[in-house]
Amino acid sequence: MGARLAQKEKDEAAVDMTPMLDIVFIMLIFFIVTATFVKQSGLEVIRPPAETAEDQRRVSILIAVGDGGEVWMDNKEVDVRSVRAGVEKLLAENPLGSVVIQADTKSKSGILMQVMDQVRQAGAPGTAIATEKD
Amino acid sequence: MTARRHKAGQDEAEVDMTPMLDIVFIMLIFFIVTATFVNERGLDVTRPDSEDPPPTKAVTILVSISAAGVISMEGRDIDVRAVRANVERLIAENPDSSVVVQSHPLSESHLMVGVMDQARLAGAAGVSIAELN
Repeated sequence: MGARLAQKEKDEAAVDMTPMLDIVFIMLIFFIVTATFVKQSGLEVIRPPAETAEDQRRVSILIAVGDGGEVWMDNKEVDVRSVRAGVEKLLAENPLGSVVIQADTKSKSGILMQVMDQVRQAGAPGTAIATEKD
Repeated sequence: MTARRHKAGQDEAEVDMTPMLDIVFIMLIFFIVTATFVNERGLDVTRPDSEDPPPTKAVTILVSISAAGVISMEGRDIDVRAVRANVERLIAENPDSSVVVQSHPLSESHLMVGVMDQARLAGAAGVSIAELN
């Protein structure tokens, strides 16, 4: 009888970890599913203001155009003509990701149009120009 | 003695979850740390569809931006903030007309974005970009 009592006490002393484990697993699955590895451009730009801008979903590639006309993608400065090849390579990793071009307010629109043209040729599912809320 | 043996057998039957939990926690921490939530706002650039023939009635409204940054519509030089009113007036005359922003390659891109924004505010059916030669 005494042995049985001791056994019962020991069982009650152990904390039931099951609910915490359930939560941990759900969090793990959430973070795995939402994990999007965004290719940052590597250049901080001043975005032009716009009122009709929409939140961009499924962004996977960021391309920056600096005020001096330099083009940055995937943390490297690249030539305008090699943007297409770079976007194609990154799209192969994430075919559903869209492209956002971060053009500096003072950048020339000719470079921006060249980058847009290259992105279009690469076959990106969506292209947008990054803006800031007024 | 029999009770002790029975107890030992029960303990061994339970699978030790500790190593798996360690791995799960490390994975959880990795995914939390690497989670990047991009909140980027932007103007969608419409892709001109070459396959669809343009509707016959629709008129395109041309807004051009010169190298010096002068915005002109219908032969008049206007301010960026006046683009919306002018586009609204032309849309009232011809609904379903689309706007084409002709930008000189040397103009600054904030003008192009500003004109696109104004045209979208005016309710243009489509805004596209072209290069001004």
